[in-house]
Amino acid sequence: MSVLEVDGLTKRFGGLVAVDDFSLDVEQGEIVGLIGPNGSGKSTVFNCIMSIYDVTEGTIQFNGDAITDDKTHEIVNKGLSRVSQESNPIDLYPVAGNIKLFTLPNSIRSLRGGASDEEIYEYAARIDIEDKLQEMPDELPHADVRRLEIAKALATEPEMLLLDEPFAGMNQAEINELAGQIERFREEGMTIVVVDHNMGGLMNLVDRVVVLNNGEMLAAGSPEEIAENQRVQEAYLAGEGL
Amino acid sequence: MISTILLLGTILSTVPGRIEDVAGSVRRNVLLPIGQTLDRLLAPVDRALQPVADGYNRRLGTYFGEMTGLQFALIFGALIALLTAGLWAPLVSGSLLRTLALASIWAIFAMSWDIQSGYTGYISFGHSVLSAAAGYTTALLLVHVNPELSLWITAPISVLAALVLGLLIALPSLRLEGPYFSLITFVAVLLFYRLTTAFTSLGGIPGFSSPDVFTWDPTMRYYYMLVPMLLIALALTFMARSNLGMILVAIRENESAVSAAGINPTKFKIWSFALSSIPMGIGGVLLVGFTGNVDPHTFVIVDNSIEMIAMAVIGGMSSILGPLGGAFLFEFLNHEVLHGFSTPVRYLFLWGLVLLVLVFARDGLFRMIWHRLGAVRGENE
Ligand SMILES: Nc1ncnc2c1ncn2[C@@H]1O[C@H](COP(=O)(O)OP(=O)(O)OP(=O)(O)O)[C@@H](O)[C@H]1O
Ligand SMILES: [Mg+2]
Repeated sequence: MSVLEVDGLTKRFGGLVAVDDFSLDVEQGEIVGLIGPNGSGKSTVFNCIMSIYDVTEGTIQFNGDAITDDKTHEIVNKGLSRVSQESNPIDLYPVAGNIKLFTLPNSIRSLRGGASDEEIYEYAARIDIEDKLQEMPDELPHADVRRLEIAKALATEPEMLLLDEPFAGMNQAEINELAGQIERFREEGMTIVVVDHNMGGLMNLVDRVVVLNNGEMLAAGSPEEIAENQRVQEAYLAGEGL
Repeated sequence: MISTILLLGTILSTVPGRIEDVAGSVRRNVLLPIGQTLDRLLAPVDRALQPVADGYNRRLGTYFGEMTGLQFALIFGALIALLTAGLWAPLVSGSLLRTLALASIWAIFAMSWDIQSGYTGYISFGHSVLSAAAGYTTALLLVHVNPELSLWITAPISVLAALVLGLLIALPSLRLEGPYFSLITFVAVLLFYRLTTAFTSLGGIPGFSSPDVFTWDPTMRYYYMLVPMLLIALALTFMARSNLGMILVAIRENESAVSAAGINPTKFKIWSFALSSIPMGIGGVLLVGFTGNVDPHTFVIVDNSIEMIAMAVIGGMSSILGPLGGAFLFEFLNHEVLHGFSTPVRYLFLWGLVLLVLVFARDGLFRMIWHRLGAVRGENE
């Protein structure tokens, strides 16, 4: 059964068509790569799924539920969580507090709910920042800030994760480690879409790849097929390499 | 002539450097030694009180925040001083009990403002409209319904009126992000002011003098204001130290992160306004019982709204107890220290103080003292 169904998604900003009639089905337990050159509309697709932006046209379903017009927090509570391209931790709270916020119930009556220290430790340990729980976000190296963003998403107990450029700014060792952790999330039952510029970190991670170019779907297939695809090569010629 | 100008120019150009030098040497030669001496003097006190503070921390720390020995001494000392003021205040000055009573009411306003504006960062410039709603409801009930109505009837209805008006303002405006909320609260208080002055049925400029004061006994009057204030401080501190406080601060720091956490920021913003409106209403009822008069100048004018912000700023926003301290300092300066001056001069000084705090101690004086006291232990262990 499809966990996520994006159907005919179009997003216009004034005259600019950022996403044009884009459709995507993701099956339970899949890891799908979504790639495309700069400005091709990858983050906009995620922003539409998460209701950060209203869609111009099209529908989005999660587990058979229409979520097109839901609010962001409702979508998160249905089990869909996104790690955005930009990190935005709350600098006033240490790592543990930032994770804790993501475990608090959406209820004004719940004054003492949320994860215990042990549970927060567990979330952090799944992405290897359990040693940094008392540190402030602005003291962390870049890779740890990115890990914190993933830990926050994990803390909402998602069924499905949308990861926007999780490998950006990481070195090869860090990329390999993170790819291994993402693979483990899948083994725990999560369904995942990973956005990246190019195939670098995705090649050995994803089951299949969808390519966006100028807001339109350009190609779809196995990582090997996409790496060979002539039209994809051409689309990337303008910018950096595949 | 030219050489004079050149000389003057050289001197002037060194002035900013000089000021920095002076500030630096003041810090090195005056503030630092004072701080170190204080630390040396206070560290044993801190250690001596630590067991008591720990007892409190174990039982109540999770609910109201943990304290060090010195912080506990400050809170406990202040509480004892306030509770016994009926005995000692008249010996200090004839007007002190009145000032403390007034400060208690304003502390309620400043703390109420803080739980909403200070915590969420959605700054209300019109909070006096809420206390005014309560005050005018009391007056209108007495004038138009029955002058014999008891406080037990008028007070709950008045607080309810503050809550209803609060929700009327919050529901449409807090759905919007950005400055609209602040502007709407500002307009709300201007509107309410004109409403009360324009219609004689609403009392006009002189307002209503029919409500009775609670009591003519200054000691009793003080306790009528103090006890509700302390209970409100307790309740709001409890709220602020819970998940609620954490979410409200997160809204101020990063509203989209709150949505991403699966939490509805709009719901919490509106709830914080409701939570603020209720004690604002209680404060309004107390102000009626203090003055015995409900008029635009005492209750509505936008200056009142700004004054509670000033108190919160002086004490330290988003800390509940900071605004409480700020209100007492503000009223003490206003009515005890500066009482010999005319109103304009007093306020000139007070607004100057607000400006100084904003520039040099942005966290507020009481939050500064609080953290300083908390740090004494850290440097001695
Ligand atoms: N809020 C917005 N308002 C106007 N235009 C926008 C907005 N968000 C995105 N766009 C435009 O939509 C297009 C797609 O942007 P998007 O951020 O989705 O690309 P992307 O594929 O994520 O690029 P990158 O790899 O650089 O992250 C770009 O032309 C961008 O300028
Ligand atoms: Mg992007």
